[in-house]
Amino acid sequence: MSADSYANAGYLIAAYVVTAVILVGYALLLWRRSRTRE
Amino acid sequence: MTERDEGRRLTRRGLRISGLGLAGLAAVYLVALRYTPVERFQGLPQKIFYLHVPAAWSALLAFSLVGIAGALYLWLRDPRLDLFAESIAEAGLVFSCVMLTTGPLWGKPVWGTWWTWDARLTLTLMLFFLFLGYRVLRGAIQEPGERARFSAVVGILGMVLVPFVHLSVYLFRTLHPQPIVLKPSEPSLPWEMLRTLLLSVGVYTVLLIGFVTTRYGLGRAAEAEGERDVR
Repeated sequence: MSADSYANAGYLIAAYVVTAVILVGYALLLWRRSRTRE
Repeated sequence: MTERDEGRRLTRRGLRISGLGLAGLAAVYLVALRYTPVERFQGLPQKIFYLHVPAAWSALLAFSLVGIAGALYLWLRDPRLDLFAESIAEAGLVFSCVMLTTGPLWGKPVWGTWWTWDARLTLTLMLFFLFLGYRVLRGAIQEPGERARFSAVVGILGMVLVPFVHLSVYLFRTLHPQPIVLKPSEPSLPWEMLRTLLLSVGVYTVLLIGFVTTRYGLGRAAEAEGERDVR
């Protein structure tokens, strides 16, 4: 991959991190709700 | 089996499905970043597509199902349909958050702007606020029957907006790319990219099922214990 291909990699990383935070965060929220109900 | 046990059983099942979906998400990241080629013109930001497009599909599917469940509730008056609508609306909002954050992160390097008020983006934002309002409405009404009726009507109105969101790229002049998979002709994607997109759609669908099952189970257990809201 050339150096040009790495341009704007920050946007890619940000999108992948944000997606993981939202989806894992919601799953953890549901898990926590289930714990309080046990 | 009591209502409470049934709720707990569904919650546990939903959490297992969600866990499977999150493992699938890790696989999507690996396949998208390691085994899918970089698009020649957009470069690396094009790979945001594999997270953004399935999030949009999941959100639109969820909001459509809220409307269908609402319509069925108004017909059958079964409170389980109202609980299902509430559960899937919450999941739809989660996927909307993914859609509305990854979209600008793709738009900035490719369009040169984080946001533009064109038809697709504006309608999508309106849909998000409509379902945010749906959630606020549910929290504001105390009487369960009244809450379910009013929410069903708002859910149906939201569902009516979904086809306009999908067709907006045909109906209006818009910056947003036209559909490249859900269109009358064949998908205009190379196989390596289409494979990754389909994998991601499958994983997001598993996550949607997992989230809704868990949330529905929590709601059933809460109702059995005489609580109004799941906190």
